[in-house]
Amino acid sequence: MANQSFTKSILKKTTIGLIIGGLLVVGAQQTHFPAIFQIMFFLYAMLGSAVFILLDAPPMKRLEGIKAVAALLVFYVLLSGMYIAGATILPQFDPTIEAGKIEKVLRMRKARSQQGKADELITRAKALDERAKAISKQLASLGAAAKVEVVESASATSGAASGDLVALGKEQWELQECYNCHKLFGSGGKKRGPVLDNIGNLMTSEQLREKLLYPKKWKAEGFDKQYKKGKMPDKYRDLMFDEEVDALIAFLATLKDTSVNTPKPIKMY
Amino acid sequence: MRTLTRSAWVIFGLMVCGATVAYAQVPDAPTVDFPYVGNRTAVWVVANLHILFAAFILGAPIFAVVAEWLGHKNNDPKYDRLAKEVIKVTVILYSMTALTGGLFLFVLLGTYPDFSTWLIKHFFLVFAVIYPLLFILETIVLYTYFYSWDSMKGSLKGRHIALGVLLNLVGMVTLFVIDGPTSFMNTPTKAAEGVSLIEFMETATLWDKMSNFSWMPLNLHRMVGNVTFGGFIAGLIAAYMYMGAKTDEERSYYDWMGFVGNMIGVGALLLLPFMGYILAYELCDYDASICPYMMADQLSMFFEMQGAMIGLIFLASNYYIWLSLKRIEGVEKIRMSGFVALAVLIMPAVMGVAWKMFPPPEWQSLIFLGALVFGPMVLARVPGLKNFTVSAFTMIKIGFLMIVVADAIWMTPHGFVATQGLATHDLELPEWAQELALMPAKNAAAFTLVFLTIVNYIMYNRAIKQGTIIWGKIDFASQFVLIFLAFSAIWTMGLMGTVRSLTRKYYHVYNLVPDFTAEAFTPTLAYSAWWITAVTIVFFAVVSFAVFVTLRPGGSKSVVPSGSTVPVEAK
Repeated sequence: MANQSFTKSILKKTTIGLIIGGLLVVGAQQTHFPAIFQIMFFLYAMLGSAVFILLDAPPMKRLEGIKAVAALLVFYVLLSGMYIAGATILPQFDPTIEAGKIEKVLRMRKARSQQGKADELITRAKALDERAKAISKQLASLGAAAKVEVVESASATSGAASGDLVALGKEQWELQECYNCHKLFGSGGKKRGPVLDNIGNLMTSEQLREKLLYPKKWKAEGFDKQYKKGKMPDKYRDLMFDEEVDALIAFLATLKDTSVNTPKPIKMY
Repeated sequence: MRTLTRSAWVIFGLMVCGATVAYAQVPDAPTVDFPYVGNRTAVWVVANLHILFAAFILGAPIFAVVAEWLGHKNNDPKYDRLAKEVIKVTVILYSMTALTGGLFLFVLLGTYPDFSTWLIKHFFLVFAVIYPLLFILETIVLYTYFYSWDSMKGSLKGRHIALGVLLNLVGMVTLFVIDGPTSFMNTPTKAAEGVSLIEFMETATLWDKMSNFSWMPLNLHRMVGNVTFGGFIAGLIAAYMYMGAKTDEERSYYDWMGFVGNMIGVGALLLLPFMGYILAYELCDYDASICPYMMADQLSMFFEMQGAMIGLIFLASNYYIWLSLKRIEGVEKIRMSGFVALAVLIMPAVMGVAWKMFPPPEWQSLIFLGALVFGPMVLARVPGLKNFTVSAFTMIKIGFLMIVVADAIWMTPHGFVATQGLATHDLELPEWAQELALMPAKNAAAFTLVFLTIVNYIMYNRAIKQGTIIWGKIDFASQFVLIFLAFSAIWTMGLMGTVRSLTRKYYHVYNLVPDFTAEAFTPTLAYSAWWITAVTIVFFAVVSFAVFVTLRPGGSKSVVPSGSTVPVEAK
């Protein structure tokens, strides 16, 4: 009898859940929610349905001895599986993207550290060793009278040093994640910091450098609250090398889009 | 004689030279590469295990001393038995805390020797003197507290309780002390404007380094978290013992113990979201770029998972109340004002709008909050409106509905992407619904969860006082709910600990000591979930073993003393 009643309850509540879920999906579609959100709302409707079914569930029979232990173990396995599956289903960040970024951000710092210098010596020693081996091979195969061609391997740290300063500055913009607070070219930012599309017309390179390294010296008009709270980090004079600052400033100085309303900078002290 | 002396000097000189040459030829220590998991994961796992055991040995005594005091005040021996059993398990797990702590130190020194040495030197007094002394003191007090339990009875009970209070004070100080270096790694102390972090570190005192931005918020969050943890583990112990109980008296007692453990755990849990907000707020205040990293970038889906866990924990704790109410005779007479039900129903919408219009610390939003919280109490006393009531079960059902709604709001992200940079139109909220992803909506959802749980507990207590609770007759499924709560709370702790460590990004000490190793990236949520689950399972295995060894579920018990330890029916 109790089981029949519970079965009826399951059917009833599942039906209600499906109806509510369906209505939520239709409503979400009409109000322009993407499909992923429609699925989320539907799943929540079914969760609600499951909760109300559970409330009507008949009392569980007491388990003892080996049955209780087995039930516990199965329960732990189910919970573990549920949490791992739940975490896996959610969108995953690709660590290789970040790893590449980190390598660029810390490259100069590593090169100047003790470890970096030791690593560079080892790299150079290996490169020299390989050249020596290549020369010996050629000598052995061609004989002493033959001309030895030495192929210079590409420098491991080439590319960036000879690049365009502004391009390097744009790279710094990405690496230091300035876009998290400042909107530029229509993307990024969450109003934590001012839009910067026209900053090149409002501040000189020296002023930009001063703002970057000593944020409290300048305030953007209309950003009193953020200025008071010190939202602009003052860590860049510790974290960025002069070359990196120069590059970023060079990039910012090129931002001269007058069609975008960039707040006026105000000198504080 | 002169020849002998000269010969001796020559031999000595040769020995010194030989030793120098030999020393110069001693090879450098090999670099450590932890097999299979890598260095970073090895440190992570050991640190997480250590924290879980440490949280228990700090949280359980709070629970135990309060229980012992209640037993002494009310002359009720069941509280004393509860306290003693919890401390019994604590004593066994204490050795695991020390073991994992030592292991943590060795793994850290082996895998990150340079950084470990740097940190130890900066906090030398803490690591070499203060912390070991506190640990020794805690050991002495804990073992004295436990082993004097039976001898310090009657007129000496007050002193025994005082010893328990001392144990908790020492534990709290230990927590605060070790949180110093921990929080320093996240938010190294900033100097005055114009002085760089690196320059300041050269002259900063130990106190300067300890009293950093996130030190106190971390202390508060961990202290409240430890109480939650202790309560849920007491519930877990009760569940195991209930399952193994052979007599009705034992089942009655452990049913009651589960109720007490759950009440303490949930009570402290209600404060945790706010403690967490304070910690996150301080991290974001320290460096604004931490906030988008947590909420919009690499860690955003970690917070989605947190939202799901919070929803499940609140569902489970309210489900325990539901099952508990079902065994109270006379519960059908218990009613709650219908205005409370209305308040619960409209709270997410009203407070979401209020906090949008008047974000904290603006005071105007308190008017709305006050109206929702106190308004029903006032209206319920108005003649004519007094009879607008709902039954206890209807109130709880409304509560369950709102838990699902509130959690849906909490979990709604701005975009279903792991990082905002990858957000596209078909993965983001529509423009008109952006508010659902912002803090006012999240705060309103969190407050709704807390408020309705408080309402349910008020109703539950009313039912216990006015009805007759039959201990030992609770639905067996409730024991799985207690286990679920403990498992989920521990899993969430692991998740949040992972988040806190990852907010250092690619630094050992944020913005100060970079991590140049290849493992300095944010791991995926899936990878993190595997290891958090593994650590939780290992912890559960050890705790289960400790409970089995110390309390022996279903084993022979000593004679129940007069002044029964079995709870009487509440009236």
